[in-house]
Amino acid sequence: MSADFRPAARAAAAVVALLPLVLAVVWLRTPEAQQQPAEFVAPAISDTGSLEGPRQPIFFRHDIHAGQYQMDCRYCHYAVEVSPYPGLPSMETCMGCHRITGAALPEVQKLREAAGTGQAIEWVKVHNLPQFVRFPHMRHVRAEIACQTCHGPVERMPQVYQYASLKMGWCLDCHKQRQVTTDCTACHY
Amino acid sequence: MSDSWQMLEGEGARINRRKFLKVLGVAGGGAVALSGCAGEPEKLIPYLIAPEDQIPGVATWYATTCRECPGGCGVHAKVREGRVVKLEGNPDHPVNLGKLCARGQAALQGVYNPDRVRSPLARTAGGDFEPISWEDALQRVAERLGSAERGRIWFLTGNEKGTFEQLVREWLSAFGSGRHVVYEPFGYEALRRATLDVFGIDGLPFYHLDEARYILSFGADFLETWLSPVELTRRFTASHAFQNGSMGRLVQVEPRMGLTGMNADEWIAPVPGTEGLVALAIAHVIVRDRLARVPADVSRIRQVLDAHTPEAVAGRSGVAAETIERLAREFTAESSVALPGGVGSQHSQAHASAAAVHLLNYVAGNVGRTVTFAPGYDPSGGSSYRGLADLAAAARNGEVGVLLVHGANPVYASPAGLGFAQAMRQISFKVSFSRFLDETAREADLILPDHDPLEQWNDYEPRPGVYALQQPVMQPVFDTRQTGDVLLELARISGGQAAARFSASTYRDYLMERWRQIQRQVGARGTFEEFWNEALRRGGVWTEVRGRGASLAAGVSRLQFDAWSAPEGSLTLIAYPSSALYDGRGANRPWLQELPDPVTKVTWGSWVEIHPETAARMGVAEGEFVEVSSEAGAIRAPAYLYQGVRPDVVAVAVGQGHTAFGRYAEGRGVNVYGVLGAEPQEFGGIAYYAAVSIRKTGEYERLAKTEGTPRQLGRGIAQATTLAEMLHGEFHPEHTEHAAEVPEHIEEVLEQWQERQYADWRNRGNYAGEHPRWGMVIDLSRCTGCSACVTACYAENNIPTVGKAAVQRGREMSWLRIERYFEGGNGEPFEARVIPMLCQHCTNAPCEPVCPVFAAYHTPDGLNAQVYNRCVGTRYCSNNCPYKVRYFNWFDYQNPADPAFAWPDPLHWLLNPDITVRSKGVMEKCTFCIQRIRGAQHRARMEGIPIRDGDIKTACEQTCPADAIVFGDLNDPDSRVSRLALDPRGYKVLEGLNTRPAITYLARVRNRAEE
Repeated sequence: MSADFRPAARAAAAVVALLPLVLAVVWLRTPEAQQQPAEFVAPAISDTGSLEGPRQPIFFRHDIHAGQYQMDCRYCHYAVEVSPYPGLPSMETCMGCHRITGAALPEVQKLREAAGTGQAIEWVKVHNLPQFVRFPHMRHVRAEIACQTCHGPVERMPQVYQYASLKMGWCLDCHKQRQVTTDCTACHY
Repeated sequence: MSDSWQMLEGEGARINRRKFLKVLGVAGGGAVALSGCAGEPEKLIPYLIAPEDQIPGVATWYATTCRECPGGCGVHAKVREGRVVKLEGNPDHPVNLGKLCARGQAALQGVYNPDRVRSPLARTAGGDFEPISWEDALQRVAERLGSAERGRIWFLTGNEKGTFEQLVREWLSAFGSGRHVVYEPFGYEALRRATLDVFGIDGLPFYHLDEARYILSFGADFLETWLSPVELTRRFTASHAFQNGSMGRLVQVEPRMGLTGMNADEWIAPVPGTEGLVALAIAHVIVRDRLARVPADVSRIRQVLDAHTPEAVAGRSGVAAETIERLAREFTAESSVALPGGVGSQHSQAHASAAAVHLLNYVAGNVGRTVTFAPGYDPSGGSSYRGLADLAAAARNGEVGVLLVHGANPVYASPAGLGFAQAMRQISFKVSFSRFLDETAREADLILPDHDPLEQWNDYEPRPGVYALQQPVMQPVFDTRQTGDVLLELARISGGQAAARFSASTYRDYLMERWRQIQRQVGARGTFEEFWNEALRRGGVWTEVRGRGASLAAGVSRLQFDAWSAPEGSLTLIAYPSSALYDGRGANRPWLQELPDPVTKVTWGSWVEIHPETAARMGVAEGEFVEVSSEAGAIRAPAYLYQGVRPDVVAVAVGQGHTAFGRYAEGRGVNVYGVLGAEPQEFGGIAYYAAVSIRKTGEYERLAKTEGTPRQLGRGIAQATTLAEMLHGEFHPEHTEHAAEVPEHIEEVLEQWQERQYADWRNRGNYAGEHPRWGMVIDLSRCTGCSACVTACYAENNIPTVGKAAVQRGREMSWLRIERYFEGGNGEPFEARVIPMLCQHCTNAPCEPVCPVFAAYHTPDGLNAQVYNRCVGTRYCSNNCPYKVRYFNWFDYQNPADPAFAWPDPLHWLLNPDITVRSKGVMEKCTFCIQRIRGAQHRARMEGIPIRDGDIKTACEQTCPADAIVFGDLNDPDSRVSRLALDPRGYKVLEGLNTRPAITYLARVRNRAEE
């Protein structure tokens, strides 16, 4: 995770340090949260500088969409079951709801403005794999690996950060545990 | 993994190779940071509106038509995220049945060529070009068209048979008529003229090579450029491959052995220009001895045949009378076909030679059987060099007001003596629709760049009955416009009669109008909508046009049969078509420049083929520049000593020597059109033969060739046998040592090692329940050496082109290469052998144990894998590989900042997103297209059905026009590959080294004449 040296970030260092703990608690509670949908309400956030993960051009809140509103990940990441890549929602997908909803929110206004001018939003990539690695999302979804296994509790993340190390040892731990291939060319080619 | 390493560890020291490296790294001060450095954050840019037919990460395929040569093969374009990344043959298409040649594969480097014209250009007062807007450009043309005198608008195109040709004609007539000239440098004027003379038919013959057991070719390069090479390769292999204990026979009569000649069972080299006489002498013998049921009207050519006795012809042609007699008997013993010459035999009497071959087919009763006619068939679209010469003359006389050029580059590809560039300068307004700044576009006043064929709507008729559609497979890369649309727009701007003529507002509408007629013509039922969608899906519509027979024309008895001959004391220059660059239009594709010529294995330049005797007489060594001069001019190129040309012949390929046409083409080699005569020949075409003298210059160049040593030196790499041997017994591998006996205890250890290595892996993931062992069989009796597989491999596997200087140092990266070896010569019959050489995926691979970092290892499914991120570039593996199929990245070919960068923008768009682009210091090699294997395994798992034999095709196998390569699972006893691997012709290369390759080669079979 990239270090942030802005004064605001430094001031919020304590909060950042506590955040994993908070998230861990949230994570442990997730199964219950799923059973009782109405329970989770995404918090209001006034200090975005203290959030983990890279800052995005629009403060898109996975915790509101996937957490509070219980939207299925696949609604936006539509290719994840058939493609190595999960797919990124088109602006049209966003506007499908936001043509009607959230008009008053400043971040939604940014989205509408961009969509109106035909300007695509350049999201910052959070999960980077090296070039020589292939990760077929569809096989993992097919094997019923939850998105959260690698991506963490995205439905509780106001701003998405890289949850797992994504290093080879981390991949292999899981592959060994599940007794699936550990051949190099399963991923490297 | 640690288990498998136990046995490799030393007795006392508990250290393995990986640990050793770790220790070394720390001891060395940790100078190398292996972790990825954090660079600029990557951006993810979403679609504004997601396209309906695209899923990110999943390829979409569109059917369209290849327009790289007049063959007109159907292609499927693989599109990923809106960009075409690979072309493959369309299996439904009647021309190529799913196959594609090297030029077709390289069409990708046309659409993404960095030297494309990116917007309309206008010539400035200073003579340069400046970008202008389309509105401005169209306005300028419309004004000129308006002010041009009636009938003074000329339109020069290449072969555009189909709707575009119709539009050009209609458009010209809408502008008060003008002249349409079709020019293809490799036209068929001679053959067309001969067909008209002999049979009274205007159109070329179809040659049904697959139905002939005996093919007698008088210089036709049908495996390279002639008529429709992919289709003819397939038909040839159908007849000539060794199968079920028999095979056809090919005899090539030509003074220079080209790729087709290399595939012949017998090469006969007559005095240049006399091959027509040989054909007549064979016909003479057939009629004399009544070897065939000779048609009655042959009496009308009695006189001609009588004059050409084998003895008389033997004296002039240098082909012994006994040989002629034997050929006549063989020719009539089974179904046969004789083929007239192509560009490489186009001398001033080429029409007479072709007529002689027609007569030979006629007397042998082949016409109507293996030779049929469909009027109007001409793969050069009725091209005529005489038409071009007329245009040049008219331009000089000031009779051309406006010249529009589309799809032709005559300033490069016509004899220098014609002075087409100077003639163009006499024309006040020239418009080019070229996609590239080629030599002809450079002379234009305005360039209105056309879409690439992969970006446009169009159609093409490669032969009667085949209507092939082109559809845009992606958005245009640059600010170009389809010429059809531009013409319609110009008519609209001009108003009046021109505007009234066309109801279609776009070229696509115009195309669909014509396809309504085609629907009626082919009698397809249903609505037009259904017909159109089905045609788009399939790549076109086709009906079987078999062609018909013919009888002799009235004037046949008056035909003259002269031979061409070089004046005493001079050599004959043969300018032959390049199988990679065609007429030069492929010269700006780096894949084709780096593709070794299938005969000489030279890349990135020109060479002069000289017989070693001639060279010795003159004291010329390989690589010495020689000056070849004719009456028309002189060229200088390095010599290549080749026993496949007669001592009185020198040969140079067409295609190099561009003075424009982009970074890959410019200033490379020589343009052989500089020494060809400019006068149109009697048949209306160019003479590709010239009387020349050659001179030593004393300057040298190291040829950028990949052949290494041209002889096998007893290594038995490319093996061959004869049909007689196959029929009378077993194939005996020549000169090769059998693998040495491996002591039993070693065998046991090896087996145990493998067992332990894979014991648990085999029960996991992709391998659970199935234990494939991937292997390949390559049938050398099918492989022609055409090298389509080589370019397909470049395209599939992101292989960089390295350029001439690196090839000279032996640093080319071709994972798959075609090795070519010569046999005989020096008095013995001279022959060539070819063998595709790629990683053999040895079971006992010498590269694997020497890798200190475990980058080269064996996968559980039998692949010899290379893990790029492990590789540290010691190159031990390459040094230890007996097949020399590992390639090292000496430079950072993938880095835009490196001078060796192989994919300048937008060429990098063609990179296959499914595999890594390797960086400097990494070893790489053939992976058996592992991305295709893993892709198929993913699909099989997702769909829950097992992989069937043939589901996985490697890129080389997929494109091979001869079906020489078969890939599959050796552990499945029913797979094609396991059955073929048991063929009695099977052998492994360098078997004596006990590497146990996964590739089995089937020895080539030569159908030699029985002595």
